[in-house]
Amino acid sequence: MSAHPGGPATAAPGTRRRPSRRLVRTVTVVASCLAVLAAAVVVGVRALGQEPTVTLLANWTQDDETNFRKAVIEPFERKYHIHVDYQGSNAESQVLGADVEAGTPPDVVVLTGPGELAEYARQKYLLPLEDLVDTGDFGDSWAKPLADGHVYWFPLKTDLKSIVWYPGDVGEQQRGQAAHEPAQWCVGMGSGATSGWPGTDWIEDILLQRYGPKLYEQWARGDLSWQSKQVKDAWKTWRDLVGAGGDPALVRRALTTPFGAVSRLVTTEPRGCTLEHQASFIRGQNAWRQARGRWSPSAPLLVGAPANRAWEVSADLVALLHTTPEARKLIRYLASADAQRAWGAETSGFSVHADVQPGSGGPDADWRVPLARTLRDKNEVHCFDASDAMPPAVRDAFAEATIEFLADRDHLEALLRSLDTLSRTSGLTWLPSVCARTPD
Amino acid sequence: MSTDRGTTPGPESPSGAGTPTAPSSSVPRPRARPADRRVPRAPRLPARLLARLPGAGPRPADGGSTTARDLTVRHRLLLALSALLTLSLFVSYQGVHGDADPLRTSSAPAVLSLDTALYALGEAQRDAGAQAPTSDFQKQISVAAQSLSAAAAEDDLGGPAGRQTLQTIAGLITVYAVKVQQSQLQPDGSVLREAYLSYATSILTEEKSGIQGRLKDLRGQQRATVHRQTSFGPLLWLAWSVTLLLTLALGAALLETQLFLRHRFRRRYNRQLIAALALSTGGVVTAVLFTVWTQQGMTDTRHLLDRHLAGPLIPEAGRHTASYLAHTGFRAAAAVWILIGGILLMALAETGLRRHIDDYRFRPR
Repeated sequence: MSAHPGGPATAAPGTRRRPSRRLVRTVTVVASCLAVLAAAVVVGVRALGQEPTVTLLANWTQDDETNFRKAVIEPFERKYHIHVDYQGSNAESQVLGADVEAGTPPDVVVLTGPGELAEYARQKYLLPLEDLVDTGDFGDSWAKPLADGHVYWFPLKTDLKSIVWYPGDVGEQQRGQAAHEPAQWCVGMGSGATSGWPGTDWIEDILLQRYGPKLYEQWARGDLSWQSKQVKDAWKTWRDLVGAGGDPALVRRALTTPFGAVSRLVTTEPRGCTLEHQASFIRGQNAWRQARGRWSPSAPLLVGAPANRAWEVSADLVALLHTTPEARKLIRYLASADAQRAWGAETSGFSVHADVQPGSGGPDADWRVPLARTLRDKNEVHCFDASDAMPPAVRDAFAEATIEFLADRDHLEALLRSLDTLSRTSGLTWLPSVCARTPD
Repeated sequence: MSTDRGTTPGPESPSGAGTPTAPSSSVPRPRARPADRRVPRAPRLPARLLARLPGAGPRPADGGSTTARDLTVRHRLLLALSALLTLSLFVSYQGVHGDADPLRTSSAPAVLSLDTALYALGEAQRDAGAQAPTSDFQKQISVAAQSLSAAAAEDDLGGPAGRQTLQTIAGLITVYAVKVQQSQLQPDGSVLREAYLSYATSILTEEKSGIQGRLKDLRGQQRATVHRQTSFGPLLWLAWSVTLLLTLALGAALLETQLFLRHRFRRRYNRQLIAALALSTGGVVTAVLFTVWTQQGMTDTRHLLDRHLAGPLIPEAGRHTASYLAHTGFRAAAAVWILIGGILLMALAETGLRRHIDDYRFRPR
């Protein structure tokens, strides 16, 4: 500024204003830092809030879904801080097929059908699991390498199917008599999108017990005609046992009752039925708990043989479709003894993990322990559920055929012819073997 | 001593006694020194409060002028209040309008799409019992599938989990349609017809895991999202209360500064400060009005979507929703004008006081 007569004009703030300016500067800098810090905190919290997620598709719904979430998913989520987006549906195959076609498959899937999984593996949708899972924990029969040498699945839970359930107060003689009365068999074919599969279990088990695992495996591989004498005989045996095409009321009951609801008839007074040919998981139903259900090998009641020649089994198989760090953690977790033990404790299924030995105590030990031992017995022959091992198209047609046959026994020839035609379709993936130890 | 001859709060005589630094003609004169001739008086409460603000600097020694200091304090106060008001108004405004766009474009249409799918499936179930396959059944299945596609296209449908659920439902609808067709191909009254229809019905109606159960769960989640987006919660009340208090504080500060300038410099009006007052008042009033209209539209939308909607009520609800939320996009986009207005507000406060401050920046020794 211009000079002053009394001396040069100097900036007034000079030394007097410096402290206040310094204060303002300090306040500004601190405020800016706080603002940046606050923004960073907000961004950080939001980032942390977006919990990593893994998608899982399985077939458990309702009570099973609740139990699975409680016993398996929630411990995983707590331990790894990974959210599991679980989708359960009995139309799992159709849902998975649509998801895969749409290019948005779930990360992990639990399927009962090794045939379907083999088809996905052939199409390169599945990822090998050797690096994630010690397949030795499950044995070759449960985590079997495919032709390309890779293992694509392992069992989370297994079930024994060649058994017949009966109330604890029913003696052997009564069981023998009931087996010849169609009304005494608790048959429920309903299962939503997969209705009919209980019928396939009947045919498979009859074939297995009457003709043995070698022929069973031949049929499950697609090498035995549906119109063969043995297969036809199995269908006719089933017809006679459950009264297919017979009493309309009985047929209606069998066709329209959901498989999970038919066991209620065991607890009615008088009993609506006495015997149920169903896998081990059915023991978890309230009705069988109330009736203190017991099991016996199926061969004596189905085909009059003294003992089972082999055991039909099924498994919930875990496979990886989309590899992410979260999905790999879930796979490792599901293959762990802890997860397998937890799920087995919640259901009437069984783990075949080497480190999960069946307990010898507990209130259900009298039926649980023999079941678990049978599943793990290396001297027994275990054959995978044939329809689960077949290509999905054949499996579904097989289930449909059991429904139609139950309603109209005269359609058998046409149904078997159709199944043969379908089985000969090129491009289907058949598993090379379904039995763990096939005797000569 | 001090060069300033302001009277507040120190006793300064109009003749300049004790203040030998009265500006001479050779020194640039401050444009106005009217207050120099005023009789000193005790500081008023606002002035005392202002003097305590950070950055006010030390009080001049007794007898010194405080005008420069008073100007600086008011200058900083106005800038700080303008900045705080801008920030507070922006946050409050965004708190309401930030949810309006996703509600209008995503959440509300998703709820209506799910309602449509549920209604169509209910109609399809009625048609499924027809004696022969009907085009009505196919039409309803198509409507349900298209509604699901529309819902899946929304950005905010529960994230990946919601989309996965929709894919599952879409797969189940296909299976349901197949089972119904299988039943309709069987002779009327046959057990197979009854069986297939029962399988189809279980796929549709099974508790929780059926199509309808899943759709209702998803719709419940979407309604919860709508509630979250349309609620005017405690945080918003707090933010708007702070905003209104800051508006009052800024208005009072602008008026006080106007009076201060009038007393000190005998300028009747400071146009920049008056413009700042008009801008802040007008801006806040406009923002409040926009917010009330938008919030009202959102609340009406929520009430509408909470109702049980079926049939023709659904497209009607869609039209109502569109009208309730009309112009919310424009109003939401106006948020940027709050920031621009805030900058303008600070610029007006700055220019309104800067020339007076500059007048007092230099002082002779």
